[in-house]
Amino acid sequence: MHEMVPEHWLVSVKEEEKILKSLGVTKGQLPKIRKSDPVVKALEKVEGEISPGRIIEIVRKSRTRGIAKIYRTVIGE
Amino acid sequence: MTILAWKDTLKKVKELIDKAPTGYVLDYEVQPEKSMKEALITVTGKTFVAKAKISKVTPYEGEKNVLKKKKDKLKTLVMIEKIEEIQDDIVNYEEVSGGSIDKILSFAVLAKKEEAKIEQREPMESKLSSDVKSVLRQLEKDGESLPVKIAERLAEAKKQYKIDGKDFDKLLKATIEKYRETGVDPYEAVGIVGAQSIGEPGTQMTMRTFHFAGVAEMDVTLGLPRLIEIVDARKTPSTPSMTIFMSEKARGDEDRAVALARSIESTTLLDVADIEVNTTESYVLIMLDKQKMIERGLKREEILPKLKKIRMQKTTITEEENEIKLSLDEPSFKKIYQLYENLKTFQVKGLDGIKRAIVKFDQKAKEWIIYTQGSNLAGVLELKDVDFARTKTNDIIEISQVLGVEAAREAIIEESTSTLHNAGLNTDIRHLMLVADMMTFSGVVEAIGRHGISGKKASVLARAAFEITSKHLLNAGLIGEVDRLNGVAENIIVGQPITLGTGAVKLSYRREE
Repeated sequence: MHEMVPEHWLVSVKEEEKILKSLGVTKGQLPKIRKSDPVVKALEKVEGEISPGRIIEIVRKSRTRGIAKIYRTVIGE
Repeated sequence: MTILAWKDTLKKVKELIDKAPTGYVLDYEVQPEKSMKEALITVTGKTFVAKAKISKVTPYEGEKNVLKKKKDKLKTLVMIEKIEEIQDDIVNYEEVSGGSIDKILSFAVLAKKEEAKIEQREPMESKLSSDVKSVLRQLEKDGESLPVKIAERLAEAKKQYKIDGKDFDKLLKATIEKYRETGVDPYEAVGIVGAQSIGEPGTQMTMRTFHFAGVAEMDVTLGLPRLIEIVDARKTPSTPSMTIFMSEKARGDEDRAVALARSIESTTLLDVADIEVNTTESYVLIMLDKQKMIERGLKREEILPKLKKIRMQKTTITEEENEIKLSLDEPSFKKIYQLYENLKTFQVKGLDGIKRAIVKFDQKAKEWIIYTQGSNLAGVLELKDVDFARTKTNDIIEISQVLGVEAAREAIIEESTSTLHNAGLNTDIRHLMLVADMMTFSGVVEAIGRHGISGKKASVLARAAFEITSKHLLNAGLIGEVDRLNGVAENIIVGQPITLGTGAVKLSYRREE
């Protein structure tokens, strides 16, 4: 993997609500990631089809926090 | 396994499906190969519509009881055993003879592209030491959370000063309290603070396009122009460039680095030869320049097979010592010039877009690194001897297409910090992270400004206050837009307290009677 690409994990449907609640946001308010994004395409080979509306957890190596977790909602296109 | 592929009409494909097994005569010359057991047929040149099992590929010698692609000029007989309709993208295949599949594919020998291997990385969290993990676990138990970096330092202190039990609990509590204090206050205008923090040092940067020779003879835009380029999310930067790192085995080897650099430098025919047109006899003469060929590390034998791939006109190729003559079968003034124009920009070697490549030895890391002018990330990453993980480009849009939005976000931060740093300025990285976060929020890299984020604000009044006032107001009137007055600009317009800081809190004091 390229060092500029952080970890992407598909969040299970069960956990989605828990995450949204802890952040106090709705799916639509999260940052987005396209279904056609190269990383999502690669993730699809592991997890199977990822439909728009699913949440992807991104674990970044952060310069300020050490490790930072953020979430992106998958959108079409 | 190699696959035979050709372009056909939908009518013929249907006929073949009806009549298979049968023989089919093509109007191309195909070199018979033993491993050729499959054939694909395309109608549009974008997707394959039919897949056939073939048993025999032989030159056509007037056999009867066979289907024909055309009436005359038939050359090759293919025995089709079975044929079925499929849906397969042309991008999954690559041409065996090298290069890319022509968009107007007439016929080609293909191989299925190897699918990229996907390796799962070990999650970063599991790599943390057990001390840090135990600190994080303790925090989680109390329903608190701290950044990993702080947890690491706490774990270190715990070990160093032997803080245990209650004392450590106290330390944790104090740390959490301090951590909360340092956070951004609710409704603080982080965007404005960020803009000022980047803008102020920006005034000290050189205004004019400043080309800095970081590497001998390399042009790289730096300073304010580069910073503007980053936030504008230009399709291509004014000086695209790449830094190519070599794989572990090859990084100490100068010869391999030079060979790689030469092989990616794009060379057109005009770079190594003079081209002459003769309109009366309708031919094009290519005179190869030996000196230039040696400089580019190109052999005559390499050029010829590539020239044969120009399939647009029917030509005969004759070659002599250092001359290649392409003559049209049917003389045509227009066509000969078309051919000439094609040949001028004909790429004989290298990757699209890479104009120059320079090899340099890095004293610190003790390795050979290639710097290029021009960028083609997707192409370079596929090459052998290239370190996939570290090779990078300064073209942010290209990164977002090849490596995804998250990598693009990383690149925006990286590029803007290094641009500021090069000018001797230090801006807190959080401001740049905010910019990068906003630019990649929608899943694609967007510019900051009228065409990007500012132009997509939800409020009509805010948009109208920014630029092209009448257009926004008129459109809003036409479709009946509603402004909820949530933002800053719209509240200033109507004369209300803005929704920032204390203005955002809906609290009022009523004195008891």
